[in-house]
Amino acid sequence: MTSKKTNRVSLMERARRVSAARKDVEARGETFYQGASGVHLAAFPPKERWDDWVELDSRAWPRREEHHYMLVPTTCFNCESACGLLAYVDRDDLHVRKFEGNPEHPGSRGRNCAKGPATINQVTDPDRILYPLRKVGERGEGQWERVSWDEVLDTLGERLRKAIIEERQNEIMVHIGRPGEDGFTERVLASWGVDGHNSHTNVCSSGGRAGYQFWMGADRPSPDHANAKVIYLISSHLETGHYFNPHAQRITEARANGAKVIVLDTRLSNTATHADHWLSPQPGSESAINLAVAQHLIATGRYDREFVRKWWNWQEYLEECRPDLPATFESFETALVSMYSEFTFEYAAQESGIDAATIAEVAETVAQAGTRFSSHIWRSAAAANLGGWQITRTLVLISALLGAIGTEGGLFANSWNKFVPKPIYTPPHPGVWQQLTWPTEFPLAQNEMSFLLPHFLKEGRGTLDTYFIRVYNPVWTNPDGMSWMEVLTDKEKIGCFVSLTPTWNESAYLADFVLPMGHSSERHDTHSYEQYDGQWVGFRQPVLRAARERLGETITDSRQVNPGEVWEENEFWIELSWRIDPDGSLGIRQYHESKANPGTKLSVDEYYGWMFENSVPGLPEKAAAEDLTPLEFMRRYGAFEITKGQGAVYTAQVRDQELADLNVTPQGRVFTATEKPPVVNMAPVGAPGPDGEGRRPVGVMIDGVVRTGFPTPSGKLEFYSSTLAGWGWPEQAIPGYLKSHVHPDELAEDQMVLLSTFRLPTQIHTRSANSKWLDELAHTNPVWIHPQDAARLGVQHTGDLVRVQSDIGYFVAKVWITEGIRPGVVACSHHMGRWRPENQGGGAGGMMATVDLQREGSDWTMRRLRNVGPHESSDPDTQRIWWSDTGVHQNLIFPVHPDPISGMHCWHQAVRVVKGGPDDHAGDISVDTEKARAVYDDWMTRTRPAGHVSPDGTRRPSWLMRPLKPSADTFALDT
Amino acid sequence: MSDQRPEESAVEARERYELLRALGSVALTPPPGNESVWHALGLRPATGVEHTEIFVLGLPPHAAIYLGDEGKLGGEGLDRVGGFWRALGLTAPEDADHLGALLMLYAELGLAESLATNERSIEQLRTSRQALLHEHLWPWLPAYLHAVSELQVSSLAEWATLAHAAVLEEHDRSTPAPLLPLALREAPQALAGGDSVDDLLDAMVAPVRSGVVLTQRDLRAGAAVAGVGFRRGERRFALRAMLEQDAAATLGWLAERARSWAEIHRGHGTDPTTDWWRARAESTATVLAAALEGEQ
Repeated sequence: MTSKKTNRVSLMERARRVSAARKDVEARGETFYQGASGVHLAAFPPKERWDDWVELDSRAWPRREEHHYMLVPTTCFNCESACGLLAYVDRDDLHVRKFEGNPEHPGSRGRNCAKGPATINQVTDPDRILYPLRKVGERGEGQWERVSWDEVLDTLGERLRKAIIEERQNEIMVHIGRPGEDGFTERVLASWGVDGHNSHTNVCSSGGRAGYQFWMGADRPSPDHANAKVIYLISSHLETGHYFNPHAQRITEARANGAKVIVLDTRLSNTATHADHWLSPQPGSESAINLAVAQHLIATGRYDREFVRKWWNWQEYLEECRPDLPATFESFETALVSMYSEFTFEYAAQESGIDAATIAEVAETVAQAGTRFSSHIWRSAAAANLGGWQITRTLVLISALLGAIGTEGGLFANSWNKFVPKPIYTPPHPGVWQQLTWPTEFPLAQNEMSFLLPHFLKEGRGTLDTYFIRVYNPVWTNPDGMSWMEVLTDKEKIGCFVSLTPTWNESAYLADFVLPMGHSSERHDTHSYEQYDGQWVGFRQPVLRAARERLGETITDSRQVNPGEVWEENEFWIELSWRIDPDGSLGIRQYHESKANPGTKLSVDEYYGWMFENSVPGLPEKAAAEDLTPLEFMRRYGAFEITKGQGAVYTAQVRDQELADLNVTPQGRVFTATEKPPVVNMAPVGAPGPDGEGRRPVGVMIDGVVRTGFPTPSGKLEFYSSTLAGWGWPEQAIPGYLKSHVHPDELAEDQMVLLSTFRLPTQIHTRSANSKWLDELAHTNPVWIHPQDAARLGVQHTGDLVRVQSDIGYFVAKVWITEGIRPGVVACSHHMGRWRPENQGGGAGGMMATVDLQREGSDWTMRRLRNVGPHESSDPDTQRIWWSDTGVHQNLIFPVHPDPISGMHCWHQAVRVVKGGPDDHAGDISVDTEKARAVYDDWMTRTRPAGHVSPDGTRRPSWLMRPLKPSADTFALDT
Repeated sequence: MSDQRPEESAVEARERYELLRALGSVALTPPPGNESVWHALGLRPATGVEHTEIFVLGLPPHAAIYLGDEGKLGGEGLDRVGGFWRALGLTAPEDADHLGALLMLYAELGLAESLATNERSIEQLRTSRQALLHEHLWPWLPAYLHAVSELQVSSLAEWATLAHAAVLEEHDRSTPAPLLPLALREAPQALAGGDSVDDLLDAMVAPVRSGVVLTQRDLRAGAAVAGVGFRRGERRFALRAMLEQDAAATLGWLAERARSWAEIHRGHGTDPTTDWWRARAESTATVLAAALEGEQ
């Protein structure tokens, strides 16, 4: 017994020693348990050994050949999730050997999808562009000469300076594809005084965004999937393309804990295969299903009454729409019942083609979720249908009924879970309004009307002196690509066309300058995304720069470490800004100068050093604990978590110091005369205007307490949108069902719906075409067709050809006969059908077919000359290309379909599908741009221009977000 | 009922769990990853060779091997442990039944229990932790750790002694379980006499059937004792070769080995689980002795 007691004493002494040792080690920011925990995540190289990580060379087996690596973090630049990567830099020759996940990244938590590790392919791609090139001859002839960066900068600097001096600011435009960063480019343009930011968002996510913004003043959702009881996803895309990795891993966790997953997707997607309920609705009928679910919650009284009473702007609804009723919550509830009573399960079944019992079962599952209901819609249905933004509105309606806003397992606004640190300079709003991107016909457009640019230029609404595309491929990505071809080759419309791109693409072939930009391991950016209830900021960096600096070298320019003369954009923009304004007389240079050494150029070190030191709460302290500067900390770890568990931000009580000389409206909006406190988080958010006496909105009065509320005009969740009502769309002011342009009522008997918006988890637009691993995984896009439709059309076998005819032309493609698609609908994925004309050198060897492209007036035809195949290059793997079919470029046959409210291009197409003829070949395209023009004209008649509907003589409601907001005076219609 | 001793503070309880986590961690992570943990435990860090010798080649630390019907990785032995993880709402890792993973899970549950403030949560966590101990740790660890200490790799022998003391401490603190662990309740029958050679071989390499942990090193030593050649191969193959060369001598050695294991189990205590193991080894020894008589 004595001995046992002694042993116990000794045991406890050891226990104390272990605990103390762990505490000491972790206090130094190091890892005590270095390796697989068995309980938490699998093993990663512990951060203490990132300077010298040893792995055995698998190819040397059975010899034990050690390789020593330096592990340097960066951020993936393929999709928009900004997952953390760790570059394995070989210490022997300072080459990057591979990329794996960064365990220090709070969003991706060490995990990546296929696209992350495939970054190594992009870096070592034999077809990548390594030097600045200038075209020789006419645009598109395929002749290039190498030029120096100095020559490029001088040429562009002179053009831009001249345009700015001559007050032709609106002739300068930078068109962004993958942003991959938070606001740097916008601020460059603001510093030039140019409203020339053009994003791809209106062919991407505007439909999704608009619905969120009208509800809550934030245009993105942040669902807390990991803690949800029920997860409701409309479309697979968000979980298979963007957000795939950070969201999928959290959905997987939730499922392991018993969460139910409901997926609405006409196509059997990867996500749908994992769902408890897969609903394959008639495209565009998703709102009808959402409203049937909402109606069930209302009719059975299973909505959160208190939440609705406090946080919906029901008072405003009653005042504007039902002045006949008493202004009480009870009358609103009565009105709510009748408002949605028509959306029965039977009605939804009739619209969607899904039986009523299934919808009822789904509704019941949702009803049981309580506040643990997470949902997400981003592209697909919201991006595909006329009124797609209403699908978002009706989806948020369900969350708002359940009170699942800002709750554990619920829905958050992205602005609560995103952190954009304030930069060293914040140039003022430009004093001009770019009408080529923000035309008066679309006063409520969520983003720039980018895809209409060819038509606006053809109409003579303006011309462009200098047009940059930046990591963007408008000919391929947009609908009606041949109209883009026509304007991009027209020097009268676009004076100088510059493509900033790491790789060749269909648009770069037409440029005057092709300028090589870095991939994710070759450039600096900061990036933050909403992926759980917390805020983090990630850092992208040229990893070889960080590696060499660890070895004691000094690097001042990313070209010193990047291959060839590949540059990073930040250094390029700073240098270009100096060339535009060399003496500072235009007031531009001041925003690109060092603060530490006035009169000299701002370096990226100072830019990010200042940001991390001054605008990221907690980072300086965390870095200091490891004896690092904030910048050194970010170079070492690549990411920093600022907060976790933000919770229901809108319920926070406003501090007394902010409350003075208040104006409280009858609806409870509170305005204050106090100054707005300084903020360091610049995450984009709605900006409701002041009251008549200039007081700023500070919150909303809820049961006698001033709470933060939402950044909407009312300060509440806007069930009733006064913005929509006031700007010409009163019939759309509440969440409702807007029948799609491909609703069965709109289709001729022989027409089908082409679902064109789906993505594959292993590719990302045209950006990933230079990743050989990804190309091997996915390289073609057959047309999905149901066996019933195949039989009707006489298509017998998978692989047979069909001709798909839109309003402006047709494409020819192989079919995949599958029950994974609804009868009456065909589907074709993104990413594929890449091409290059015979005369073009360079490209993406594993993905681009060689084509014969012919134009006769407005008629364009494309015939395939050669498929891809094995070929010689500096990479022996190109000899191993075993596939030949790379699919079809379907977007070329799509006319533009601008949604009159959100401005989103409505991607779904009404098509006629016929069996391929003897002269048809896979990949053939035929398009008439005159017909494209007619469709554009038709859709423009649906708009309600600001000149007719603006309630205050302005172009656009000032509170709505805009990536680069011009000064207030430019909003006036008469300016 | 709480198993925190009246004199033990919450901090001390957490330290106790940390010790178990550390013991699990060094088993789970091969060198050089956990050098600081070894030092904190007051133990000489095992080398990579030593770690591999014990945990990969000699005595893989998986519950399925010691509690499964066939004495192999995976199968029902692993499923039972995996089910326990899932019942806790956790995703079972690939090596759900690895000693390291189980000790770390035990520590995690203990830590959560010590931090919980809600009485119901505390009770649920304690029940889970004790179930883990009774069902998935105590039924095989004393024998396993003894076998490790017999392999004469000093760093890991010290680790095994410390791990045994720590687990015994947990066992002594815990509420006695009303039933034998499921793996023992549903264990296959012991050797009954008149078994075929294949049955005998199957049983001798499956601890839960024989009550004996037979390592490669044991077999090499047994071959020397029996005066037969040791044929390299997996244990069943090597034992068959021994029996084919001299059945009587091999059975005699095996019977003695089973008797030794009965004594080893007896030394581990008198609780029902340990008693079960002792009885099983004794039964094996008896059957083997009878077979030996038949052989002679």
